Amino acid sequence: MPAAIRRYLALLRKEAQQLRRNRVLLIQLMLPPTIVLVLFGYALNPRVRDLRLGVVDESFTTESRDFVDSLSENVNFNVIRRYGSVEAAEDALKSLKLDLFIVIPSDFAITLGRGQTADVQVVIDAVDANTAKIAQGYLEMALEEYNNGVAGAPLVGAKHRLNLVRASHPAPPPGVPDVQSAYLYNPGLVTSWYYVTGLMSIIMFINASLVASALAVKEKEIGTIEQLLMTPAQTGEMLMAKTTPVFVVMMVVMFLSLVVGMLVFGLPVRGELWLFGLAGALGALAGIGIGVMVATVSKSQQQAQLLTFFVNPPLTLLSGVTSPIENMPGFFQKLSYLDPLRFMVTIIRGVTLKDAPWTALWPNLLALVVFAIVLFAISAWQFRKQ
Amino acid sequence: MKKVLAQAWKEFSLFRRDKLLILLAVLMPIVLMLLAGITGTLRLRNVSLLVYDYDNTPLSRTYIETYGAALTFRIQPRRPQESPERALASWRGRAALIIPQNFERDFRRGAEPIVQLMIDATDSNAATALGNYAQSLNTSFALKNGISQPQAKGVNLQQRFWYNPGLSDRVYFGTGGLGLMLIIFPALLGALTTAKEFETGTIIQAYASSLRAVQWIFGKALLYVLIGLVEFVLCFALGLLVFEFRFPTDPSVLLVATVFYVMAGVFFGMICGNATGNQSAAIQAVQMGSFLLSLLLSGYIFAVRNIPIQIRWISSFLPATHYIQIVRNSILRDAGWGTSLRPMVMLLVLAFAFFTLNVIQMRKMQFKG
Repeated sequence: MPAAIRRYLALLRKEAQQLRRNRVLLIQLMLPPTIVLVLFGYALNPRVRDLRLGVVDESFTTESRDFVDSLSENVNFNVIRRYGSVEAAEDALKSLKLDLFIVIPSDFAITLGRGQTADVQVVIDAVDANTAKIAQGYLEMALEEYNNGVAGAPLVGAKHRLNLVRASHPAPPPGVPDVQSAYLYNPGLVTSWYYVTGLMSIIMFINASLVASALAVKEKEIGTIEQLLMTPAQTGEMLMAKTTPVFVVMMVVMFLSLVVGMLVFGLPVRGELWLFGLAGALGALAGIGIGVMVATVSKSQQQAQLLTFFVNPPLTLLSGVTSPIENMPGFFQKLSYLDPLRFMVTIIRGVTLKDAPWTALWPNLLALVVFAIVLFAISAWQFRKQ
Repeated sequence: MKKVLAQAWKEFSLFRRDKLLILLAVLMPIVLMLLAGITGTLRLRNVSLLVYDYDNTPLSRTYIETYGAALTFRIQPRRPQESPERALASWRGRAALIIPQNFERDFRRGAEPIVQLMIDATDSNAATALGNYAQSLNTSFALKNGISQPQAKGVNLQQRFWYNPGLSDRVYFGTGGLGLMLIIFPALLGALTTAKEFETGTIIQAYASSLRAVQWIFGKALLYVLIGLVEFVLCFALGLLVFEFRFPTDPSVLLVATVFYVMAGVFFGMICGNATGNQSAAIQAVQMGSFLLSLLLSGYIFAVRNIPIQIRWISSFLPATHYIQIVRNSILRDAGWGTSLRPMVMLLVLAFAFFTLNVIQMRKMQFKG
């Protein structure tokens, strides 16, 4: 056996033993994927439902009550209370008891009776712009249904077309082109798949960098690094030995989280499993590379951890896991090309959900390989400088 | 009191020497808040749309223009021989619009031609929104081309969007980001300082000294609470510049809440530090317990109400949930004490609970003297 490999194995055994004894670290590494994935897979559900609707009915007629009834039939609205005055409703909105309220004017029934269009005022709490827009959409849909029922001719016979895709839009007027939306890759529109695949990659990447930086700086802190530097081992061997156990553990974590995703959320794996593994491995290497690099420039564990804390959140935000990249301002879109996590998430989502063709995957893989090599080379070079 | 100040002074002299730590503690929140506020948006824009027009008539082109004119879609050139399935699988577009032959002829006859829209539903929410949006574009196309008349309207909606009339996402994420920054960094600093004492063994000195647990905890926390307040001022200034913050008419609510909140953060960090006694583990604990949980469950991105009931209770134990609510109340809704009283009480309770846990943790080890 060549001396280099023997030295590497000896160092590897030392590192593996140290890692095995570090129970806390091992638990930290194994626990997150199971708990975090399950928790957040369930928690992250941006579907808006049960909007709290207040009603100020100044008309107080059969017509206005019919109108309110038609709104409360809609599953998206919960009519919380009727208020006597607009001021009372405003107060309720201000103290967060309501999400929106409608004001039905006193001439509502009369105007309708004349065959004219009656105006109804809606006030929506728009602090959360997204929810406000969705609420507006729901209201318009409910209104259209109401208008069809009141103003349109009574529906005779089986005029209701089945809308297979989603029952939420009202049927379009006759003669309009019929848009049939096909939802590829996730026809059941399961929200958790998107977040679970994203979180998987984040956990993997962040943990790899945190642990690697902690291990690499520890020797420096306790002072045993001098002993290591005195040994005949080369820096490359030392670095490899240091990172191998982390890498192995991270791969276990990766597949563990995949199994959790499959069992709990029914996450499909439509593409090649080895591509998933490869993306995970390269992502872990890039993460470890960042961790070691951070460790070499910092003096204490505290500094190293703070630096990784500084590096990781921007990478997470730019990766497109939480919000799509094409929505970001142009400069940040370009910046995201410098984020290894972006490519990793793309591949992982491509493999699990999409079965993306190889021609589309390889540029991402190549980018990850480049990141892994460059980051590792820099960290080895920095490590040697010590 | 003197002992508390002495302890705080000791912390300060340690902190002062660590240039990197100072830089990070002050700079990091600003950079992160900026990034989080700018990248975080739930609005769909510039979604790349591939068009497969098998009719190629003036009307089909008008139909395509309806999509092209909307800000949501951006029509993307496509490769000649590529099937829509393959193009979507390769990320060359997020949606594909397929217009069949005889589109115009069928349309003129009044036979509803079927147009297919294939949507990449990996991001299922965006996909749902896109589907709905396409439906409304479709209807407006028909209205514009005089095929169907607008329906007689019985009731008309007059909409008012309060507190955020422009429906700006920045306001929302900016205020949430402020809350997020103020929980991460104070907690992190608190965790590091206590864990370090355990790691280097200097905690024994604290045990053996005449300092009581409460004094030790206050002395340690004081500096980091102050740093948290400095961070608040910086982040708020950033908010005024970039995120359209306004000065609340009654700033006292926000200020009091901030003090409680930062205290809760620091105490939480110290719990993590005490419990793990190891800097790297403490940081992980903070990262899980305050960063990840607050990011996802505090109402920063998604309203707390949408979280399934089984885990919604976690939200009420997060200081960030209450603080973000107060921040949004004060800055956006300009509401006073009445509205923010409940979250304020919760903040106080949480800060006190974290403090008590700290005391219990320390008491166990204290030498009786």
